[in-house]
Order: sequence, then C-alpha cells, then structure tokens
Amino acid sequence: MNSNTPSSSAGGIGSADTTGARRNSKRPKYSRFTQQELPACKPILTPKWVISAFLLVSIVFIPIGVVSLYASRDVVEIVHRYDTDCIPADARNDKVGFIQSPRVKTCNRTLRVPKYMKKPIYIYYQLDNFYQNHRRYVKSRSDQQLRKTGSENDTSACKPEDNNGMTIVPCGLVAWSLFNDTYNFTRNNQLLAINKRGISWKSDRDHKFGKDVYPKNFQNSTLIGGAHLDPLKPLSEQEDLIVWMRTAALPTFRKLYGKIETDLQAGDFINVTLENNYNTYSFDGKKKLVLSTTSWLGGKNDFLGKAYLTVGGLCFFLATWRSIIFVMESESRSLNKLLTDILVNAFLGTT
Amino acid sequence: MGIDFELLHKIKGVIECPSPDKDIRRFDANLRLFPPFLDNDMCPLTIKNTLLQSCYLRNTEWACGVAVYTGNETKLGMSRGIAEPKLTAVDAMIDKLTGAIFVFQIVVVIVLGIAGNIWKNTEAKKQWYVEYPNESPWYELLIIPLRFELLCSIMIPISIKVSLDLVKSLYAKFIDWDDQMVDLETRIRSHATNTAISEDLGQVEYILTDKTGTLTENKMIFKRCCIRGTFYGNENGDALSDAELLNAVSTGSTDVIQFLKVMAICNTVVPIQSNTGVISYKAQSQDEEALVRAAASLHMVFVNKNGNVLEINFNGLLLRYEVLDILEFTSDRKRMSVVVKCCLSGKIYLLSKGADEAILPLARSGQQTRTFSEAVEQYAQLGLRTLCLASRELDDDEYREWSLMFKEANSKLVDREWRVAEVCQRLEHDFEILGVAAIEDRLQDGVPETISTLRKAGINFWMLTGDKQNTAIQIALSCNFVSPEPKGQLLLLSGKTEDEVCRSLERVLLTMRITNTEPKDVAFVVDGWALEIALKHYRKAFTELAILSRTAICCRVTPSQKAQLVELLKSCDYRTLAIGDGGNDVRMIQQADIGVGISGREGLQAARAADYSIGKFRFLTRLILVHGRYSYNRTAFLSQYSFYKSLLICFIQIFFSFISGVSGTSLFNSVSLMAYNVFYTSIPVLVSVLDKDLSENTVMQHPQILFYCQAGRLLNPSTFAGWFGRALFHAIVVFVITIHSFVFEKSEMEEVSMVALSGCIWLQAFVVALETNSFTILQHLAIWGNLVAFYAINLIVSAIPSSEMHTIMFRLCRQPLYWTTIILITMAGMGPVLALKYFRYTYRSSKINILQQAERLGGPILSLGNIESQSRSLEKDISPLSISQPKNRNPVYEPLLSDSPSATRRSIGPGTPFDFFQSQTRLSSTYMRNSKDN
Repeated sequence: MNSNTPSSSAGGIGSADTTGARRNSKRPKYSRFTQQELPACKPILTPKWVISAFLLVSIVFIPIGVVSLYASRDVVEIVHRYDTDCIPADARNDKVGFIQSPRVKTCNRTLRVPKYMKKPIYIYYQLDNFYQNHRRYVKSRSDQQLRKTGSENDTSACKPEDNNGMTIVPCGLVAWSLFNDTYNFTRNNQLLAINKRGISWKSDRDHKFGKDVYPKNFQNSTLIGGAHLDPLKPLSEQEDLIVWMRTAALPTFRKLYGKIETDLQAGDFINVTLENNYNTYSFDGKKKLVLSTTSWLGGKNDFLGKAYLTVGGLCFFLATWRSIIFVMESESRSLNKLLTDILVNAFLGTT
Repeated sequence: MGIDFELLHKIKGVIECPSPDKDIRRFDANLRLFPPFLDNDMCPLTIKNTLLQSCYLRNTEWACGVAVYTGNETKLGMSRGIAEPKLTAVDAMIDKLTGAIFVFQIVVVIVLGIAGNIWKNTEAKKQWYVEYPNESPWYELLIIPLRFELLCSIMIPISIKVSLDLVKSLYAKFIDWDDQMVDLETRIRSHATNTAISEDLGQVEYILTDKTGTLTENKMIFKRCCIRGTFYGNENGDALSDAELLNAVSTGSTDVIQFLKVMAICNTVVPIQSNTGVISYKAQSQDEEALVRAAASLHMVFVNKNGNVLEINFNGLLLRYEVLDILEFTSDRKRMSVVVKCCLSGKIYLLSKGADEAILPLARSGQQTRTFSEAVEQYAQLGLRTLCLASRELDDDEYREWSLMFKEANSKLVDREWRVAEVCQRLEHDFEILGVAAIEDRLQDGVPETISTLRKAGINFWMLTGDKQNTAIQIALSCNFVSPEPKGQLLLLSGKTEDEVCRSLERVLLTMRITNTEPKDVAFVVDGWALEIALKHYRKAFTELAILSRTAICCRVTPSQKAQLVELLKSCDYRTLAIGDGGNDVRMIQQADIGVGISGREGLQAARAADYSIGKFRFLTRLILVHGRYSYNRTAFLSQYSFYKSLLICFIQIFFSFISGVSGTSLFNSVSLMAYNVFYTSIPVLVSVLDKDLSENTVMQHPQILFYCQAGRLLNPSTFAGWFGRALFHAIVVFVITIHSFVFEKSEMEEVSMVALSGCIWLQAFVVALETNSFTILQHLAIWGNLVAFYAINLIVSAIPSSEMHTIMFRLCRQPLYWTTIILITMAGMGPVLALKYFRYTYRSSKINILQQAERLGGPILSLGNIESQSRSLEKDISPLSISQPKNRNPVYEPLLSDSPSATRRSIGPGTPFDFFQSQTRLSSTYMRNSKDN
C-alpha cells in the first residue's frame, strides 16, 4: 500500500542525473564575488591571539612611555606667574581699574634658572581662562583681508570690530585683542637678546598674511583692545600678530614671544623687565611667562609618557592574567580528564 | 457567427455591460447586434469571451474584438491596487532608534543651549575680548541653542539611508547571482524583485505555504482508478500498466470504456497534432491533461477538436461527439460537466467529473456509492488527488428545456454566476457513478529536507491548500510537515455550525495548552468552512491557537482566507513569509511580510506578484538561511555602526563646547565634517556586505543559529546602547588624549582638530576591522586603503594655500608627537573594546561564537555535543549564570559593546546537545507576551 507514497528521495536522484550534463551550458560566468566566495581570512579571538596582541602592545608601549617621560624630563621649563605680582600693592583692590588707567605698568621680576638650559630657549606667554576658541571670537576675522590689499573691505565676518568709520585692517576681535605685554631680559646686567624673527609659521608669513597689506586705522576707536601695530610694517612681518591669530583650541594656551639664542647656566638669575599692559583681570585670567627648551616630543608634558606607561602596564597585566588563567584552564582540563580516566578505570576495571 | 469577412466592418450593435469592477473572473454582459445581421437576439458575453489586459492569445492567428473597458477602467487596472510598501523589521527598528537619537539630540541641544546662555550672561560678559553687547533683543537667547542644533545635526546619520539602499540592492543582486539557486530543469534563476526587504528573510518566523505546485511538482500523473468497484493499479501502483485494466480495455468492458470516454471527453483540453503526427495537449488544468493522457495510453485517444466536434480514436475506431454545452468548473461547484451528443447514435449525454462530495451525493437513487467513497478514502490516504467520474443519458426534451434556461441564465447581468450554478444543478443529478480516478502530484525534490531544516531553524510552517483534508494531511506527513504518531498529533478543528466550531476550538486549545509542556509535534487541521466561522466569531480564541501552534494545515481554503490567515499572524507581530505558485496565492503573497513565488507550471502570476521568485521550494532554505541571515547580520552591523560614527564625532563636538565657553564652536571644519560622514567612514563599512560570520555550510548544518536573527538579537535597543556607549567611550578617549597631548603652545585650533579627526578615523578603521568576521581582499582594501586615502586627501588639501588647513597635515605628519598621540588613542580606544569582546567571547560566548570556534579551529566541524561540553568547562569559573526563565523573544539586557549578544543562557544537559531553542519555552513565552498584548 505504501509503495506509492510520494517520496522525494527517488525523484531527487533522478533529476540530478539528467541535469548534471546541462549544468555547464547554462551557468553564467562564475565569479567568486557574485557567489560571495572570495577567499577570506577569518580570525577569531583565541586566547593565544588576544594574549599575544596585548603582550605586543605592552612591549611596544612601555619603552615608548619611558622614552617620552625622559624626553619630557629633559625639558627645562621656567614658569612664572606675574599677573598679581605686577600690580602695585596700592592698586590690588581694583586691578581692572589699574590696568585700564594710564599709569606706568613696568614691573621687574627675577627668575632663577634651575638647570642648564641649552639654546634655543623659547619665551612664551601663557594665558589661562582666555577663550580664544569662543565662537564669537574665533569667527571674527577676515582671512581675505589679511592676504590681499584688494580685499580690504571684506570685513563682513569681523563684527563688531569691522570698521569705525573707516575699514580696520586687520579687522575683527582676534586682531583687536592682540596681546601687548612686553618682556626684556637681562642677565648679570647684560641684555639678553630676544630673537623675534621666525616665531610664526613660515607658511602664514608667505601665504596668509600679505606682504603688501599694512595696518590701517587699527586700534583707533574709543575702545582699545590690545596692542598697536606699526602701520609701516606689512602684516607678513608683524610676527606677534601672526602668532596671535593662530587661535588656540584650549582656554589655557601659550604663544611664542621670542627666542633666546644663548645657553643659560644653572643658577643664573635673570631679570625680567616687563610691561604689564594686557587686561586679564576682568575675567580672572592668569598671565605667565614661560622660558622653555624643547625635546623631540615638544615641550614639558608628562601626560603622553604616563599614558603610554598606563596603557602598556594595563595591557601587560591583562596579558599575564589571561595567560595564567589560560594555562590553568588547560591544565585543569587535562587533569580532569586524567582523573576521570583513573576513576573510570578503577570502577569499571577497563584498561 | 459566420459573418463574411468583408461585412465585418459593417456590424453594428450594442454591448450591455456592468460598470467597471475589479473581478477578473466575471464579466456578465450581453451583445445585441442590429439588423441586418442578427435581429435583436441577446447574445451572452462572459469572461470566456473576454480578453483581459495584457493577455496572450494562443492557438489562433487572429481574433475580432471590441474594447469594452480601457485604461484604468480595465479589470486589471481596477484590481491593480496600490501595493503597500513593505517595511522590514530592521528598518522599523532603525526608525525607532533614529527617533530615540533625535530625542536625545533635542535634549542635548536644550541643555547646552541653556548652559550656553547662562555662561554667556555670567562669564562672557566679563570677557571683554568677546565684546558681547550689553543689551540684546530677546531672540538672542535662541541663537546659542540653534548653534548647538546645527552642531548636533550630524548626530543622525543621513548617510545611513544611502548606505542601506546600496547594500540592500547588493543583497538582492547576490540572490540573483546565486548559482546554487538556479533551477537546473527549467533554467529559472532566483530573482529578488523587491530589493529592500532581504533582512526580513532572516527574521522569518512563520512560513505559509501553498501545497500544489509549491510543495509538489504540480506534474499530475494518473496512477490508480476504481471502476465500478474494481480497483486498478493497487498492486504495482500504476494503473496504466495494470494487466487487468489493459485486459478490460481490450475485451471492451462497457464500464471501463465509458469511464475512459469521460476521461477523454469531459474536459476543455485542446489537442494539437504536430506535423509528425504526435498529439500534444494544451490544458488549463493539469488534472484534465493527466486524465486525457492516461486515456490516450489506454487506447482512447482524443485526436482532434474541430469546432464543437471532438474526435476520439478508440482502437482504430473513430468516434465523434458534438459538445453542446460546457458546465464550467467553479470552486463552489467543485465539478464540471459537459453535455455531448454522440454523432453516431444522436444520444445526448451529460458527463461529469469532480470532487467526491460534489458528485457522490448526486448518484441516482439505488446506486451504491460506498465502494467509491472507500476508494476515495483509500486514495486520499496515499496522498493522491481523487476525481469522481459520472455520466447520465439525457432525454432530448429535457435537454432542450434545460438548454433554454441555461442560455437565459448565461445572459443575466446580475448574479450570473449564481444563476448559472443553479441551472447547472438542475441537470446534474441522478448520476451514474462510473468510478474514481486517482492522480498523483509528486513532491518536489528536497521538500522534506527543506521543511525539517527550516523547522530546526525555529520557523513554523502552515500549509494552506485548496485540497481535501486527507490529501493535505498525507502530503503533510510525507514531507515532514507533521510527524507521524506517536510523536506527532493532529488536532482536528471542524464543525459546520458556530457551536460545533466553538466547542471544537476549545477542545483543541485545551489539548494544545496541555501538550505544550511535552516535546510533541502538535498540529491543528482546519477546513475552510470552520476557518470561516472561527475567523468571524472566535477570532481571539483562534489567534491564541495560532500562537500556540507551530504547525497548521488549512485545507479547502480560498485565496482570501489565505490572505486573512497571513493578516492574523502579522497582527500577532510575527514575521510571515508566504510562498505559492499560482494565481490563488497572489493575495497571500502580497499580504505577507515577504512573498515568495515559485515560477512553476501554473504560470508566473505568483512569481510576478512576489518579492522573491525562486524555481523550486528547496531554494527557500538557502534564501532564508544564507541570504536572509547574512543580510540581517550585515545590516545590523552597518546601521549601528553608522550611528556609532556619527555619535562619536558629535560627542567630541559636545565635549569641545565645554572648553570653548559653551558657545557652539565647531572643533572640526566643515570640509572635514562632510568628508567624515560621506567618505572616510562610509566606505570601509560598505564592504561589510561581504562579511560572513559563519560559513554557509555551518549555517546549513546548524540552522538553529537563525534564532539570533529571528529574535532580533543583533539589532535592538540594548545592542544599540552598546554602540552608543562605545561612541561615548571613544569620544572621551579621543578628546581627553588630544587636549592633553596638544597643550600650551601646541593647542592650535586647526592642529587639534586634525588630531582629533585622525583619532576618530583610526578608531573607526579598527572598529570595522574588529567587527569584521572574515577579511577578503576587498575588506583589507577598503579599511586600510581608506586610512591611506584619508592621509592622501588631507595632505592634498593641506597643500592648497587658500584652504583653512594649509600646511597643517604636513606639520602634523612630521611631528613624532602626532604619531605617538594617534597610536595612544587607537590603543586606549580599542584595548578595552577588544578585552571586553574577548571576555564575552570566552565567558558568555553566543552560539555563533561557538560555531565560529568550531568552524575555524576544529577544521572539520566538531559535533555539537563536544562544543557544549567544552564551553561548559569554561563556564565553571564564573558565577552561576544559568537562567531558568524561558527565553524571551524580546531582547534582553546586553553589556556594553553588544553585537552578538547572548545574555541569557541556560545550562544544557549532556542529553540535549545544542537544543537551546526548546520549542515549548519559546512558545509559552511568546504566548505570554501576546496574551499580555491582548
């Protein structure tokens, strides 16, 4: 009765045979891509693989960390905050009033060189709590105007410092608020020469600030922001401005002021005569003078070295921990197997 | 009508027809011609006289016609309907997530906007260099929130739509290209008509399948018959080679000859004689063709059809019959008859064939029909299709009288079908039952294997067929649809009245609930009538039954009931796939989430309406397990990754706003932002369309793995939370490291921005690499080539003097600080991700991971028992995590970095290796969920 029940197996074999021959004639050109059969490497996260990856990272990272830390340690840095100290004692209650008054703001400070400093020594001024990255501030400039004389009136972005009856060159808040403290250094009553050439980016001097663009009508309005510019010098030579116009991304930043091209010996005392003109008092900003050498990694900054050591250390810890567990597991597995074998043999008597 | 060719253009007349409707099976109109051709004689026009739009006319070289409906008023035009655009579950989920991100974005904007205004009014007023005016109009308050809105607008990745469209069309192409889904007999390739729903294939939970032509080949072969109580073909299974029958034919047994005559005449088959004399038959119905063929091989050859005259050659004797009327087959009548006049004797006969319940009750009084019903029963048990053949000799008067009525009924404009059926009834009675013919419809290749594989993958099957209950059950048994007793159990849901159905339904439900705790294959069987009542009056109970039952056989159902069942399952939030081959499956195919058409013998109607067309039922396995699964996995990764990368860059912008006076400064310049979304991050991820987490063979061998797709384990709010967390973490890493390495004199805006951007690019390259399971050459090219391209592009842009970032990239690339920072960002970002992924891989490994391990380490795939024991030994050293609560279909809590989570696990005994989707838990949980919904 059941002999005729529809069954697929018999039919399957039959049809496969008859169609086998046709297979080649019909098939379109076979391609590994269309069939999703491109040769592929299929890594999976085996313990060995992961442990060696972490181990490798720690082996690479820890030396880099040590080297960076050393590089950072080799940098000698003198940081001197002067914003409060340079206000005469009688004016300390009203710092803003003092800084805005026409009083003489010269101030003398003495710095001690802690370690031998090899030339060139970079002089920076550091501002804290100064938002050069504020949207209103950072947009308030005209790159067109800075580059070409022809685009002098291209000041639409510069509001509110775009014109004061006449077009301002350079316009905008950034230029207007140019830092105007000045420093002079003497060592043993000898003037230390400050090289202020080449402190800005060469590309900026060549391409962003025109050789034939001269300051015009700058700091002429009632509200005076920062430094004045020499109207006879083209913008491409106003290196302080060029440095300042490279706005900082962080509210604490340093800008290059100049370079000292002589070595400083440990224990040297350096007298700084500075003009404390710039107003950071209304927003509780700090002003610092920084003298620093550099390493291949830049200035003094332990972060990178420490971070490398931390990551490397963690990776090393992880790798060791995992390998211990890995070894223990495989051993306990084989131990388990051994024990089971013994027990089975003991109870069942099989060999 | 015999009108001369020249007079044709002079014909004038009127066609009375109903106003346009969309019923393509009916056209009840009348034609009245004006003199001089025919006096006012009504001439009925039916759908038989009608050519539908875009039909092919065969077997003639010309035809004369009148256009009745045109344009959108044609029947096809009216019934075209607007195909509902199908939205995949994945797309719906992405939309939901997009909504959530949008809300998050608004919250961020409001919070930052308020913070920005507060900062502005307290701090910024002191900052003289910003020169905020002392007084400002009120709307200035809105400016900062609007700036943040602009800044955060990149949080929702627009590129996701483009990327998804791109990869989806590629999924579809992969289906089209697949050489393993080519029907070698008919040379039909699989085709994805709808390119947008491939992911849904991987999430199918219910498959509703037609029987004839889908599970079976729809190649009818006459196998057995019972003539006047004598069974032929029972011994060898083929009546055509049964010596007894051959003997009966040659000796000229009247009963047998009459039986054969009905087989040869009672049909609408057209014989076509080729030049070589070989006769081939064109038939609308496969059954009729089978009968005519069988009759021909029993020496009753239907030679020619000349107008209304049929010529039959019986053992060299030419018999002529004139067909007087054809009483059409309809699915309500379930029989068809012809009235023929023997040209020799002039006698008029009514010849009928049809389903047993449509013929046997009409037997003349006195004739015993028990043998026939037994024969029908016996054949149905074997899974054969049965047809009862009957005849009656008519009086001339009776016929003439009836003929008038028939003509009148046929020219009715209203209710013609019903009227005709009624008139037919008047003639079809007092039958002389001649016998029962049994026709075999062979199963397609690989159907049982396909069903059992997909069943293992956790897909439930429902069979919806127009066939008899017994035939349906037999087919179901023979193709693994239901298990035979004692493992399987069939519950009959039947009844003719509401009460009966109600009682039956309750009984079935009760049994179903009880047996749910046993590992038993329970299926319910319902016929069209009971289904109608159940759907109408006991919808809730029936829905419950539908949820409980993994298998169902619905027989004698109409096309619209098929669609209703699909609708019912869809309303329970199941992903349904409907597969069929004929015109009666079209509605179901269109209704279902995914419609699959089999381009088979019943034409291409279903295949045209479907989203996917395949040549054979067995390709369904590959379509779902390979294409559907890969598509789902790939889209799940791609979409979440798109959110991740947008969030990453957006978080950095938000963090930056905290150190820029909450003023809404953008750290990145607009070119970088644009290129980041469009270019740097979208190209590497596009090659994830080639990613394969498991090889095709592994998936085919362990179809259970589809569960991860069905339950949406790879894309749900918790996996998304993982990606969200990853974006946040990476943003913190990039931001903190950048602003601590590039400090003081190095904190130049453009440089810091480029460092952060390169950090993001490096991280995302490694993220893509880490999430890629199989690297082909294209993946390497896209991931690492993209990194190279990033530097190339930025170096080129840096070389342009007028660009904002002139020389920036050159300066950075020369600094050791830059490279050490980037390496630090990459490692600090990827280390924890790698570690977490590894921990989950070892301690909470999903079944996908286990299979990956087996596939790649074991060479030949280990048996699953081994895998289980291995993984269990690893599990020992962590706290008991085995959760006894039933697996929920809803995604569960996932730890950070979810991509292939398996947070719930059950301890699996050694006896049931890998049976981690025990049906009852799944069912009960889904049931609980759904009953809650209700």
